[in-house]
Amino acid sequence: MSTDQNNMKTDCANKGNCLEMLQLILDGEATPEQKANFKSHIDECLPCFKHYHFDQAIKELLKLKCSSQAPADLIESIRSKIKENTIS
Amino acid sequence: MEEEELPKQHYSETEKLNIFNHEFMPHVNAMYNFGYRLTLDSDDAKDLLQDTYLKAFRFIDSFQQGTNAKAWLFRILKNSFINDYRKKTKEPSKVDYQEVESYYNSEDVDRQITPDLRVEALKDMIGDEISNALNALDVDFRTVIILCDLEGFKYDEMAKILDIPIGTVRSRLHRARNLLKEKLSEYAKEMGYNNA
Repeated sequence: MSTDQNNMKTDCANKGNCLEMLQLILDGEATPEQKANFKSHIDECLPCFKHYHFDQAIKELLKLKCSSQAPADLIESIRSKIKENTIS
Repeated sequence: MEEEELPKQHYSETEKLNIFNHEFMPHVNAMYNFGYRLTLDSDDAKDLLQDTYLKAFRFIDSFQQGTNAKAWLFRILKNSFINDYRKKTKEPSKVDYQEVESYYNSEDVDRQITPDLRVEALKDMIGDEISNALNALDVDFRTVIILCDLEGFKYDEMAKILDIPIGTVRSRLHRARNLLKEKLSEYAKEMGYNNA
């Protein structure tokens, strides 16, 4: 990341397209060419650079904070119900 | 299950158990979490999960081995939720968003919340803020975030799970994330990040 933020553009002329591309990239849906183009764009565009890192942080945080484990007794009960079903 | 045109399989009892144990059960935590985030109630989530797994076993001949078991299971859970639970909850199923595909334009873009909410503020959200923000979203928005960000489904898989076009997946995700950021931004303000 070349982050000499002083030399970066502070306004993006192409916000709409960039946000759309940003979503594709974060979600792993962009082509390698789109990725390369976007990377070089955020090297020089401050708003898009910030958006990218911000959205990425949210995505990581969601994964970290919003997962849960199924209760052990529930798993047990599912397994035993299936067993009953197959013995019949 | 109104499963697609896939030919029905004829698994032996042993094969069925094998598939169940090795392809279905490994997703039990993700499935529980999905059920919990949909119903927002741990008892309902338990019932939903149990129903879903029993259904999956009953319809196991519609599952083709080697295909995406997780997506198949998530679709059953989502359908069970809509049929059995959604009408029970008082949660209105109204969704006042237009499902347009090309709205990465004008107001939506200008309304970006990012300037007053920064990564630093996010990192300080060590509690339940993000979880609460997610739960506060309308269920349709919540769902796309769970499928994409928590579970890592691709857009085409989400389209199949939700029975909606890929364009709608994309636009709904975009909208959902903006709403989530709005919520987070409110929390950040409460935490003292005024215009952080």
